[in-house]
Amino acid sequence: MAIIRNKRRHGLVALSLILPFLAIFALVFAYPLYEVVRLSFTDAPLIGEGNWIGLDNYVRLFSDRIFYISIKNNAYFVVLTVIPTTLIAMVIALAVNRLSGRWQALALVLFFTPYVLPVSVVTQIWAWMLDFQFGVLQPVFTFFTGKPVPVFKNPYWVLPSIAVVTIWWTNGFNVLLILAGLRNIPTDLYEAAALDGATRRQLFARITWPLLWPVTALVLTLQLILQLKLFDQVYLLSEGGPFNTSYVLLLMVYREAFQLNHGGYAAAISLILFLLIAVVSVLQYQLLRIGRGKDT
Amino acid sequence: MSGVKLTNVRKSFGPLDVIKDVSLEVPKGEFGVFVGPSGCGKSTLLRMIAGLEDTTGGKIEIGGRDVTAVEPAKRGVAMVFQSYALYPHLSVAENMAFSLRLSRAPKHEREEKVREAARILQLTDHLDKKPSALSGGQRQRVAIGRAIVREPEVFLFDEPLSNLDAELRVQMRLELTRLHRQIGATMIYVTHDQVEAMTLADDIYVLKGGHVMQSGRPLSLYDDPDNRFVAGFIGSPAMNFVTGKVTGTGNGIARVACADGTLDVALQGALPGPGADIILGVRPEHLAPVEEGGLPVTVEVAEELGGSSFIHARSATGADIVFERRGQRDRLDGQSLRIAAPAENVLAFLPDGRRLR
Ligand SMILES: Nc1ncnc2c1ncn2[C@@H]1O[C@H](COP(=O)(O)OP(=O)(O)OP(=O)(O)O)[C@@H](O)[C@H]1O
Ligand SMILES: [Mg+2]
Repeated sequence: MAIIRNKRRHGLVALSLILPFLAIFALVFAYPLYEVVRLSFTDAPLIGEGNWIGLDNYVRLFSDRIFYISIKNNAYFVVLTVIPTTLIAMVIALAVNRLSGRWQALALVLFFTPYVLPVSVVTQIWAWMLDFQFGVLQPVFTFFTGKPVPVFKNPYWVLPSIAVVTIWWTNGFNVLLILAGLRNIPTDLYEAAALDGATRRQLFARITWPLLWPVTALVLTLQLILQLKLFDQVYLLSEGGPFNTSYVLLLMVYREAFQLNHGGYAAAISLILFLLIAVVSVLQYQLLRIGRGKDT
Repeated sequence: MSGVKLTNVRKSFGPLDVIKDVSLEVPKGEFGVFVGPSGCGKSTLLRMIAGLEDTTGGKIEIGGRDVTAVEPAKRGVAMVFQSYALYPHLSVAENMAFSLRLSRAPKHEREEKVREAARILQLTDHLDKKPSALSGGQRQRVAIGRAIVREPEVFLFDEPLSNLDAELRVQMRLELTRLHRQIGATMIYVTHDQVEAMTLADDIYVLKGGHVMQSGRPLSLYDDPDNRFVAGFIGSPAMNFVTGKVTGTGNGIARVACADGTLDVALQGALPGPGADIILGVRPEHLAPVEEGGLPVTVEVAEELGGSSFIHARSATGADIVFERRGQRDRLDGQSLRIAAPAENVLAFLPDGRRLR
């Protein structure tokens, strides 16, 4: 009897503990999500109600040329950033990890500083450095292509340049994560492997890489989600131009909702983006886990 | 098979001298144990033999070959770590075959060697498991298996049993002795546990503060220690020490006044003059109650072990004295009595700790 009553009280306590979270979750996530889904079936403006128009928004979306450009750009941007930034972070972390005490701290600060900067400062810095006329990096372009390049106004250079800016901006955080992962690998494993006759290469391939894999998978997944949500840098550096060639989904949402007052249509696009991120990231994380499952 | 020889070996970490001029030799095929209190540099010395720490000075030879500057993998040594250092992402079989894989040994050779090691260590049923699915004792055996597979000339163990519970420790101790008989390789074993050292070793090397205090067969260290440190470190319960002054000498016997009583000590060399300060050491099993003479003590606690008991007593000057009784069941708690030991079983030390023989 007493046990049963205790159990019930136990349940009540548990419920009361998660209730605040549930309430906030419902308020700021579930309800807006429901509203987005509902809105996407209407022709509502940004503010106010609209009429139910069924799947019209989606039909329109799938014949919208900019939608396809955006999807393609989102994918291209992911290719340009996710794996490169992870690899770069890994190389930097491995190098930093070999520095001793004070130098390590100094190197970390240097690599982490860009991450602290607000996005508008970052884009200002790079807009200045890559300026067509007096950008300090233009000689590099001149050296390779023979002439200066207005990178943010050139359809071929615009996304790769934004990718470089993004990697420079966010890489410090990945370095930190990977460094933490490296420090978690016990040194005596390296000593045992050294006694077993491992070369530097083998140490990396057979100890560091497999034991770092959980962290690497985490970084890859976080990066994938983050980079699919690309908006600020494009908005501030190219505004989707030139000729809409650097449009991405979130920029499209912004334009439809806030510039063209198409609330319903913007909701449909956001929903597609949401599903895309959810599916791709879950898929990727599962794939990475399976990849790891082989040798865990 | 080869022995290990250290000549004037030194090691400093920056300003800190951890190993100060160690010379010793572990003959080939022998089981040598480095023992000493925590922080005395045992692990450092072992890691220097393995090549995991570089040598500040001196020479390390393995099998007559100077390996002081040779990299770890080329020294012909295998090491078993206190933490086992198993590769968590590899199975037991892969852990044991790791070194063979690195050297690209053919598959059938790898499998054969792993199978043989697994048979010796009774791991055959666990070859496909990950280390995380093993018990402490099994992990320890995998670590040893990884060493066996490499067929090293010298095995190095750094406190391999300290993470195991007492019962398993005793069992693994026996298995290690058996393993040593079976493969006959030179083994060097580090521990701070003198019981482990006594039971495993052919030769014990007692370290303190970066010096070898004494080395030799376990029983010779027990019976004939060179200094007060070794005398107190080897043996459990530890040797009793009392300080006193020589009152008279004759016939190779010195009579010493100590703790409100007297003890006789037999000495072969020159006898110290009357009035000399001296420290006497007596093992618990040599002390027994006497009618008169000896030291007056008051019994405080008795540790009953069944076959024997250790009586903890306090001398008139407040020193702890432990003595052993066998086969007597009457209790002595709280009693005052006198205890003494035969003169030839009493050891004498100078105030600086050196043995007076
Ligand atoms: N990498 C290092 N840098 C600086 N000092 C060190 C280093 N390794 C060991 N020491 C110092 O050397 C001394 C001996 O260390 P060591 O690990 O050899 O002791 P030990 O005898 O194995 O002790 P324990 O029984 O606790 O394992 C200690 O004082 C330790 O602080
Ligand atoms: Mg140690």
